[in-house]
Amino acid sequence: MAMYHSWDSQNAWLRQIHAHNFLFVNTATALAAGVADGGWMWVESPWGKVRCLCRTSEAVEPGTVWTWNAIGKAAGAWNLAPDANESRKGFLLNHLIREELPAAGGGTVSNSDPITGQAAWYDVRVRIYPAGPEEQPISWPQATAAMAMVPGMAAAPKRRSWMAGLGLGKFKEGKP
Amino acid sequence: MTQLALVIDLNVCVGCHACVTSCKQWNTSGAAGPLVDDRPYGADPTGTFFNRVQIFEVGAHPNTQTVHFPKSCLHCEDPPCVPVCPTGASYKRAEDGIVLVDADKCIGCKYCAWACPYRAREMDDERKVMSKCTLCVDRIHDQDLPPSERKPACVLACPPNARLFGDVHDPDSEVSVAIRDRGGYALMPEWNTHPANHYLPRRRTDMGVHVEDLVRVDNPLKIDGKQPGTPYLGGGREDYAT
Repeated sequence: MAMYHSWDSQNAWLRQIHAHNFLFVNTATALAAGVADGGWMWVESPWGKVRCLCRTSEAVEPGTVWTWNAIGKAAGAWNLAPDANESRKGFLLNHLIREELPAAGGGTVSNSDPITGQAAWYDVRVRIYPAGPEEQPISWPQATAAMAMVPGMAAAPKRRSWMAGLGLGKFKEGKP
Repeated sequence: MTQLALVIDLNVCVGCHACVTSCKQWNTSGAAGPLVDDRPYGADPTGTFFNRVQIFEVGAHPNTQTVHFPKSCLHCEDPPCVPVCPTGASYKRAEDGIVLVDADKCIGCKYCAWACPYRAREMDDERKVMSKCTLCVDRIHDQDLPPSERKPACVLACPPNARLFGDVHDPDSEVSVAIRDRGGYALMPEWNTHPANHYLPRRRTDMGVHVEDLVRVDNPLKIDGKQPGTPYLGGGREDYAT
């Protein structure tokens, strides 16, 4: 899989390779849960739930679901259009996990690798089920409002024809 | 007669897409460019790419393969895109066998795209001309480049060298030897297009993975008894190993 983490979603060429993610579910597991390939589904843990798109796969162990994280973004983030695939179809699994886990004997312990401190994001048990036909065909949760542009930031071009030395496809008079 | 071609090793390709982006980087600023990006930061971005990677799965769990399949123009020896062109814009070079489109003659009628059984042609919506892989014709013959760099951008970019480049009519070339020794094959030979590009098949490897390794005791569905099919309910080898 080409995807890596947040995937430089500001990059016009990489966005054409992947602009959103799927939850990868074993075909038999999806069938048993009534979730269709390419259909909207819910994945729910004790801490939260996410509506996402299902992609059935034979390369996943039955009983396990996974995705590549962080391609999902809030509407307007990274100067993408408010209806960009990253915010409408992309999703984060962060909503299903917690920064801290209950510790033996009370209290909590950081949900990270005890040796290195690296965020470990240990496995979490989830429930999967199909989204209803009346539900909106977009990922959930959504940001309440699209992120505003930072002062000084220019609107993203609607079309690009990039050629080295010519800027964003606009030939500048008198310049090579 | 020379017939330049790519030979792609499907046993090595992991689908990193370095060939896709390096191809676009070279060609958007080259003789065949620029290559348009439509809605680059909006919904459903699309654009012109001469090289794309298709990804599909084969088999059923746990005997599954994920195949990464890079595809660009195959530079057929008998290209169906050439005779259908009403203006002569689509042509095959006699000196090296590369199939090209002359953008100055192309009227964008798309006959060639319909004729190509491999869907290897790309209509550029900005320039309104058909475009396609040029095998980096504007760099492989460039005498200003050192000989080691006179290769297509995708070949130079491929991290594990899954892409080979050379003359498939020279029986002693690297590509001819690879096709001969490793069962290289052409796509859809029944169309009699005689594609110059070839693919090297995936090879069987024994990973030593046992079914019980893939179906763990602590698999959550096994605990619930909800696992579809429940192929193996005993202890996994890893459960005893640790």
